[in-house]
Amino acid sequence: MSALLLVAIALITYASRAAAVVLLPRPSPRFETILSRIPTPIFASLATATLLSDGGALVGGPTLAAAAGALLLSPARSLLLCLIGGAVGYAAGTLLG
Amino acid sequence: MARVRGLSTPPPAVPSIRSIVALSLPAAAAVAVFGSLYGVAARGFLGVPLTLASSLLVYSGALQFAMVALLGAGAAALPLLLTAGVLNLRHLVLGAALRSRFESGPLRRAMLAFFLVDETFGFAIAAGNAAEPRAVGAATERTLLYSGLTLYVAWIVGTVVGVLGGGLAAVEGLAGALFPVLFIGLAALAARKRSHVVRALAAALLTAAVALLLPDLRMIAPVVAGVVVALPGGDE
Repeated sequence: MSALLLVAIALITYASRAAAVVLLPRPSPRFETILSRIPTPIFASLATATLLSDGGALVGGPTLAAAAGALLLSPARSLLLCLIGGAVGYAAGTLLG
Repeated sequence: MARVRGLSTPPPAVPSIRSIVALSLPAAAAVAVFGSLYGVAARGFLGVPLTLASSLLVYSGALQFAMVALLGAGAAALPLLLTAGVLNLRHLVLGAALRSRFESGPLRRAMLAFFLVDETFGFAIAAGNAAEPRAVGAATERTLLYSGLTLYVAWIVGTVVGVLGGGLAAVEGLAGALFPVLFIGLAALAARKRSHVVRALAAALLTAAVALLLPDLRMIAPVVAGVVVALPGGDE
């Protein structure tokens, strides 16, 4: 892999990040409503994606237990509590596994 | 000057730099672990200088690991560039969702854009949700900048540790478990209405279905699912 190719990949990556942030005008109220709905589903989707391995199978027991621990405490709407729930879940999953 | 003044004396309800860094530290620790694994994996294909340069310039774990996998499979330049294009598509959606909250000019937004990754997007959205209405823009931008810097430094340090032969494989499992926990916590913070929870569940199911039925699209499935479930419905 050449330095030039690496720079091209870096430029593609930065352009993708800057395209909407820099070039997009402030969205209309209707579009803004749709955009405001996007974060929660994306986070839920990212969480789901991180619980699946390349072949679509579930990841290991401790990670699933960590996710379950975080999910149990998610109604509290506190990132710290979710992290604590995840840590407890991971420890329990490791001990039981 | 205005920007410097704005950063040093935040208006009320804008999180302090210390609180942003503290919030970002668990994610930064996990990012450092994966940075070290990337450093170990990439060193053999890219050499030390390009491995370090890739983390400095690209700053994208998913893309950089995909690059190493492609190089290991003997891929040429075009597949690498196409992969970069496809994996980066999600940034368009994340950037659009942040754009409506940003208030500063294009130059500052261009600087902030470098720090847009999945985790910093989450921190920034959560900070904006927690801020007073008049401080949403400042809280979002400030959080994106400082959580981005924290994770960027962690990624670089991890990569350096990796290329020096110090991969942190022993804690890979723990670090890997942090990401679903983090995203669940961020989803909980971002959900302000019952309909958000319903859409989140629908997106999670859709992502799982795509991962099972179309595994090649697994990397972009979260953003596609997020957009698809956000579209239906009127003004809420």
